[in-house]
Amino acid sequence: MNGVNTDASFGVRTPVSDGEYDIQQSVPLSLDKRSSSSTVQSTPEIEKKYVHRVYDAIAPHFSSTRFAKWPKVATFLNTLPLGSLVLDAGCGNGKYLGLNPNCFFIGCDISGPLVKICADRDHEVVIADAVNLPYRTGYGDAAISIAVLHHLSTEDRRKKAIDELVRVVKKGGLVLITVWAVEQEDRSLINKWTPLNPKYVDEWIGPSSPRMRSPSSFTMQSIPEMEENVLREHVHVSGKTLEPAYLTSQEKDHSLAFENGMDVENQQEYFIPWHLPYHRAEVGGASSCALANGLAKKDDKKGAVVYNRYYHVLVSGTASVVVVDRFFDKSNWCIILEKTC
Amino acid sequence: MLSSNIKGVTSGFPLRIEAEKVVEKQVELNAAFLKNMFTKIEWKPFVDASRAMGYAELPDEAESSMLESDEFLQKFHHALLELHLEEGALVCPETGRRFLVNKGIPNMLLHEDEV
Repeated sequence: MNGVNTDASFGVRTPVSDGEYDIQQSVPLSLDKRSSSSTVQSTPEIEKKYVHRVYDAIAPHFSSTRFAKWPKVATFLNTLPLGSLVLDAGCGNGKYLGLNPNCFFIGCDISGPLVKICADRDHEVVIADAVNLPYRTGYGDAAISIAVLHHLSTEDRRKKAIDELVRVVKKGGLVLITVWAVEQEDRSLINKWTPLNPKYVDEWIGPSSPRMRSPSSFTMQSIPEMEENVLREHVHVSGKTLEPAYLTSQEKDHSLAFENGMDVENQQEYFIPWHLPYHRAEVGGASSCALANGLAKKDDKKGAVVYNRYYHVLVSGTASVVVVDRFFDKSNWCIILEKTC
Repeated sequence: MLSSNIKGVTSGFPLRIEAEKVVEKQVELNAAFLKNMFTKIEWKPFVDASRAMGYAELPDEAESSMLESDEFLQKFHHALLELHLEEGALVCPETGRRFLVNKGIPNMLLHEDEV
């Protein structure tokens, strides 16, 4: 399967809560020959399947659960100068758009249905890709990326998204980025996560998807309090419960033991499911398409990673930002950057 | 929901506006914001954009001292925030590539072969 264009069918096993396994219908998987040479801006299959289509299908339900505003984000927005132009990349249901009435917000998200929800609330929004923002360089006064980076499946794409956030703000502009952390307050949740073995990677995504990465060789001496991150989202629902999983890359030398006794110290990739309640499932018809394609049963969403690695790269590599603040708040790592040139 | 050409596409600015349906909305005037935006805006493309949307009241040239005038501020505010492109397209000046605007939302996603 070395870059050969082929159609492969896989029988996928879906674990169900009572411990038995269901053999699903085969999911035909087209392997894109071009994916090995694609640019950092082209969307990997795993994101199309397990992020974009999932969000499109669950948009209204997802939106209804996005109501709590994180205080630190609110503080950041409320302390911006009067009349600031704020760009929210990955705005979701627009929770933060307009939060500070003295600022002007432009939101963008890759999910059309989510953007529509924002537009219905009278916000200025655009359908766009965080890895390729349609804004002029240096235009914004501030930019925010709240729980977005984890949906990008490769480190290069995550770095590009951060570069984009920095690019679109003016000199002296601020960027706030938050990502989920592995140090979840509810440790029992981590025990529900199933690491994604190479076997599952092949079955569920395809051989061209990102592989497990070995732990990073660099250490974070200067920031001892920062630890490795895992981004994940979890939702529980009535009906079948899928084994949740998340994507992560771990640098620090501590192991999380799972119920099955697996040591996840080197575990890199996981899936996180979003369980759509059945009474919500038929909104927009996207779910029925997903079911037909065999994707709905694995309503998995990717969680990604390596927040502190980007921090390191930003500070040493680009030298055009300084870290103004960083903090850990309610299971999220947050960082505020200022563009210096 | 596009109020004016304050966005650029990866390959070029300014995007030309093809307006099929323009809607006027009422938005509260915020002078601090307008003064901030004035420094960011390229005036000529901005005037072209508002004309494409059917508004011809803006002067061909402008300078920041004009922001002291309420009348100018009102016109600027109207063109920037109250004119909304509901249906139409934004066209890349270099490639002619059209980004469609539906229900006020521009779709700026690039195709696989454009990234």
